[in-house]
Amino acid sequence: MEKRSVLVAMSGGVDSSVAAALLVEQGHRVVGVTMKTFCYQDTGSHGKTCCGLDGILDAKRVADVLGIDHYVFDVEREFTRDVIDDFVQEYAAGRTPNPCVRCNGNTKFRDLLRRGRMLGCDAIATGHYARMGVDAAGNPVLLRAVDAKKDQSYFLWALPPEMLPQLVFPLGEMTKPEVRGIARRLGLVTAEKPESMEICFVPSGNYVDVLEQRLGAGHPSLAPGALVTADGEVVGEHDGFARYTIGQRKGLGGGHGQRLYVLGSRPSTREVVVGTKEQLARCDVRIAELNWLATPPSAGAPVQVQIRHRAPAVPARVSAAEDGFIHLDLDVPQSAVTPGQSAVLFDGDIVLGGGRIAA
Amino acid sequence: MSRQPIYLDHAASTPLRAEAGEAMLRVMSECFGNPSSVHRWGRAGRAALERARERFAAAIGAEPAEVVFTRGGTEADNLALLGAARLVPGCAVACSAVEHKAVLTTAHALAGEGHALHVLPVDGEGIVRLDAVSAALTERPAIISVMWANNEVGAVQPVEQVGALCRQAGVAFHSDAVQAFGKLEVRVDRTPVDLLSFSGHKFGGPRGVGALYVRHRTWLAPLIHGGGQERGLRAGTEDVAGAVAFALAAEMAEAERDWEAARLGGLRDRLEAGLRARVPELAVNAAGAPRLPHVCSVSVPGVEGGLLLAALDVEGIGVSAGSACSSGALGVSHVLTAMGVSPGSGPAVRFSLGRTTTAEEVERVLEAFPALVGQLREMAAA
Repeated sequence: MEKRSVLVAMSGGVDSSVAAALLVEQGHRVVGVTMKTFCYQDTGSHGKTCCGLDGILDAKRVADVLGIDHYVFDVEREFTRDVIDDFVQEYAAGRTPNPCVRCNGNTKFRDLLRRGRMLGCDAIATGHYARMGVDAAGNPVLLRAVDAKKDQSYFLWALPPEMLPQLVFPLGEMTKPEVRGIARRLGLVTAEKPESMEICFVPSGNYVDVLEQRLGAGHPSLAPGALVTADGEVVGEHDGFARYTIGQRKGLGGGHGQRLYVLGSRPSTREVVVGTKEQLARCDVRIAELNWLATPPSAGAPVQVQIRHRAPAVPARVSAAEDGFIHLDLDVPQSAVTPGQSAVLFDGDIVLGGGRIAA
Repeated sequence: MSRQPIYLDHAASTPLRAEAGEAMLRVMSECFGNPSSVHRWGRAGRAALERARERFAAAIGAEPAEVVFTRGGTEADNLALLGAARLVPGCAVACSAVEHKAVLTTAHALAGEGHALHVLPVDGEGIVRLDAVSAALTERPAIISVMWANNEVGAVQPVEQVGALCRQAGVAFHSDAVQAFGKLEVRVDRTPVDLLSFSGHKFGGPRGVGALYVRHRTWLAPLIHGGGQERGLRAGTEDVAGAVAFALAAEMAEAERDWEAARLGGLRDRLEAGLRARVPELAVNAAGAPRLPHVCSVSVPGVEGGLLLAALDVEGIGVSAGSACSSGALGVSHVLTAMGVSPGSGPAVRFSLGRTTTAEEVERVLEAFPALVGQLREMAAA
């Protein structure tokens, strides 16, 4: 195999630790970096997430075991601006953001490539479960991971396409148990670390804490308003539309005569719209802020679209393209098509690209 | 890496002197007795400890009874400030704005306990303003702390004058001499100072051993309570091996001080002149102040500090930024801020030379550093 100089992003978790270890075993020159994305002192709970001080120290210990250099880069300002502020603004506007997509696309990878060049590296690796491949024309393409349960390609659609030749995903062919097995075999301190499911800057696991902290508890998006049906009938009260996500059932109170779901919100009137499960299903999806990692599908082309993490990709057709938007017709109606979330387009295992679901 | 890496971070820590390391091992195995024990083993430990105290006291012109061994420079600073202030409930305390965090954070902790805190401003060269010292003295603080020389930019403070003012006012004067000792003459018989902090690993001694000089009739409350060791000021079974190695390293540093300071000063001046000539817009911090001979702090606009440090490390060159937090990420330097250095001057890089530094190393840095800065600037502009 061609030997490269690879900069690997190490969060201090088991996946990125093993990604680094595999690259070392393959004989590449490897440099580890950890990005300090927010000040763990501010959250008052360092150690609970992989980006805190404990994560940095774990990454340093793994780097030491692997015999590679390791550096910490403070990207707090960029991360706050590009990821956390966006996250808060999206919720305040009644949408449901996807901060990991935003971070990968805007902060993490661009930054890694830039820094990596200064450290003599020509490739970027992370512990994401995804694969790189080549299409028939020999162009690099982003592929789903072999382990469908762990596949994280959904979070990677916003990467700058020009970076594809520089990307390495060492875990793309592996399963989680295999990864843990390697970590144990190498005696890495991160081998038994629990899976981090939370958003790194939401250590409590409840995003509303972050909204309250950054918007203030009195912000309109966190203030009470009416629960209304699609026909405008007021059926109750809610305590802030930003606390609700589409498809949610909890927190709507009882006594409505039928099971109600959140269909959406109307920030201008602070209303949360509720309805039946049937009303939740939609066939059309409009996508904005498009980014293509492969040739964009033409109108009418069949694709598969995934509208949230862990959801299966479903068959769809590009029905219309306008300036900055595309419309998709889903073959089968999907529940809870959620504005702000990512819609990622696939052709089989190939990630074509994606966008943010628009209202 | 084909060539030997270059360590230019001696102000952060120094390699242990071989003699100190050997002494430590010897004392640990041969003088293991507890110095407080009555038997021969205890006596041997006591004798080694007190000999170390005498030797260090002689190196700074103090009486042995005025030397308190601590577990490092930070502990010495804490003992001085907390120890002096807590004896006088509600008293004021004062320190310069460019103190090491060991002093500054301790002073803020005292403020949190209800003491009035006067942070003394410095001029653009990092030198404490004597008028501010005089003004603070009118508040009758229990202690004033002004470091002997600054760790980030190397500015040497007017300890003679500050000490004289304090003495006139009858206020205890503490100085953190952690960076100064071994580079400048630090003698308590020639300087009006009441409390002085030292740290072993800054002059080739072991980590985790320091000392506080406490002039006779300077009263302190202990921080660590226990068996009354170190005249009741620092309880806990003494680290005899550490103290012996500390004193030995201090003697050696003091013995070679004159010519080593001159040698390092020459290398530093060569480094600085070369950097100025080869790196456009580079500024030397505290250039107009009397400075430690081994420290050179430069501000480099147009680059990202953390990345510059990492790229230098990849080249095999180890230096520091202004300040770093425990994660290794860089923070904003309170020292440069206090000096009025604008953030637009760019991140600061501190080169600190030491015993192992050679002229050839300086030349290699003068080749590598300007090239890396050029690359970083190109990247930032792209």
